Amino acid sequence: MTALLETRRLTRAFGGLVAVNNIDMHVAEGEIVGLIGPNGAGKTTLFNLLAGSLEPSSGIVRFAGADCTGFPAHRMARLGVARTFQITSLFPELTVADNVRAGTYRTKTGGWAGALFRTRAHAEDERAVSARVDEILAFVGMSARRAMPAKALPYGEQRKLEIAIALAAEPRLLLLDEPAAGMNPDEGAKLVQMIRSIRDRGITVLLVEHHMRVVMGVCDRVVVIGSGLKVAEGVPAEVANDPEVIRIYLGREKIHA
Amino acid sequence: MTAAPRMRALGAVAALAVLPWLTGNAFLQHMMVLWAIYALLALSLNIIVGYLGELSFGHAAFFGIGAYTSALLSMQWGVPVWLGPFLGAIVAGAFGLVIGFVALRIVGPQFAILTLGFGAILHTITNYWVDLTRGPMGISNIPPFSLGPIALDFAQARNMYYVALVFLLGVAYVCHALMTSRRGRAFIAVRENPALAASIGIDVFATKLHGFVVATAIAGAGGALYGHYLRVITPELMSLQYVAALIIMVIVGGKGTIVGPLIGALVYVSLLEMLRAAGPLRLVVFAALLTACVIFLPGGLVSLWRRLRERRLAPEPAGASA
Repeated sequence: MTALLETRRLTRAFGGLVAVNNIDMHVAEGEIVGLIGPNGAGKTTLFNLLAGSLEPSSGIVRFAGADCTGFPAHRMARLGVARTFQITSLFPELTVADNVRAGTYRTKTGGWAGALFRTRAHAEDERAVSARVDEILAFVGMSARRAMPAKALPYGEQRKLEIAIALAAEPRLLLLDEPAAGMNPDEGAKLVQMIRSIRDRGITVLLVEHHMRVVMGVCDRVVVIGSGLKVAEGVPAEVANDPEVIRIYLGREKIHA
Repeated sequence: MTAAPRMRALGAVAALAVLPWLTGNAFLQHMMVLWAIYALLALSLNIIVGYLGELSFGHAAFFGIGAYTSALLSMQWGVPVWLGPFLGAIVAGAFGLVIGFVALRIVGPQFAILTLGFGAILHTITNYWVDLTRGPMGISNIPPFSLGPIALDFAQARNMYYVALVFLLGVAYVCHALMTSRRGRAFIAVRENPALAASIGIDVFATKLHGFVVATAIAGAGGALYGHYLRVITPELMSLQYVAALIIMVIVGGKGTIVGPLIGALVYVSLLEMLRAAGPLRLVVFAALLTACVIFLPGGLVSLWRRLRERRLAPEPAGASA
């Protein structure tokens, strides 16, 4: 397997605090990788470095073999990296369908002029976009909600809509930031199903997650970080029994393998 | 566009086309021209305020740049008057590109303050660069648009109305096309959630700059129409009074829509005349109107129509009887 995403000695410091410290990690094409660690371990900082929301202090990020260190978020997205956010992030005033429609931005290139002159290419693009929106809404099971404003959705469906927006961008790599946050066990189980079917669409997934049940249920491989350093890496069952991992999680939630 | 809105748009265009023939009153026809030009300007500001979600206090400066560009080019270099709106648009858009490139690095209230500063600078330069602009005296005897031997100044308001209307409808169509395009979706995405917009591949800065340049270019075209119609321009065109007028039109009419700014311009032009006797007190009325709209009708006057329709469709909403 070739590495789709790779970091070399990736570091980010905030003043004296080194939130991410010399992290080497990779995500292979087609994998589902979990990024776990206690609160304040630097997971979200690492995640933001990968998504282009933060610039690293030093180190290298490579995507599909090409150096993309320090690329801003929109350039990472154009390479094929889509993400969701820890705190629900939608276009609240738009309808569900228009949220997903916005997500298709990078899959087309037409602009204002096509709409102005009503070119055939514009009409075809818009038809393709609409078909894509329908397909993705069906995939996440939200077709019935399409005309509803996003802000009116219940919380669990807002989280699903976030994933739908990211999928509409047709990413090669999907970064999920605590997708199960605030979900009950039943919703968590459905999320595991959805992440698996996302991978079946050919999309590689990297997720940051607190819910061990989700991480252990879905990930092929887990990377554990603590205090900005990589502590362990491996298949979930191995990592869960790693003494170092148990130590940094001590006094926190129990790990269910 | 589906059938019903298309019919409505065609009906509106037809109504606007016959409008000046409903009265022989030259003053009313003059008001119609002013409305069309103000509506054009309000539509351009609406691209920034309504679609990009940023507030600009500098928009009148671009209006003024267009007016001065076109007036000076036609008077000093003999450039044909009909080219004026396009050249005014290009020069105002170029200023918009430079100012937007600097100012759009920050967003929200700070951006609004920066545009206020840039607007004030352009106003001051126009006021003091007497060699070029004749300063506070302004420029008079600007050549009017003409069709053969017929000059389209306010003595021919009805004819000038059609010139302004063509430009207005053109800009309205440009706005409509924008909102049905991928570019327009990017504008709205940037307004609604810039971080999420970036995460799906939208370059937030470039998108805002794009909208800002188009909006300032349209304002420049509006300025040229205004100058060749009234045939007198002064630096006052760039003053806060005009900035406030444009903001009132967009907010009171309804930002983020195409019909809203047109209605806002109508309300402004009519009130300005009806309250002429009230003198400076007019400004108090406008301020009160703006405040009331922001508090009670954030969607502007166009949202009244939507509210009424929703009420008619759902006559007994649950709990409404209490």
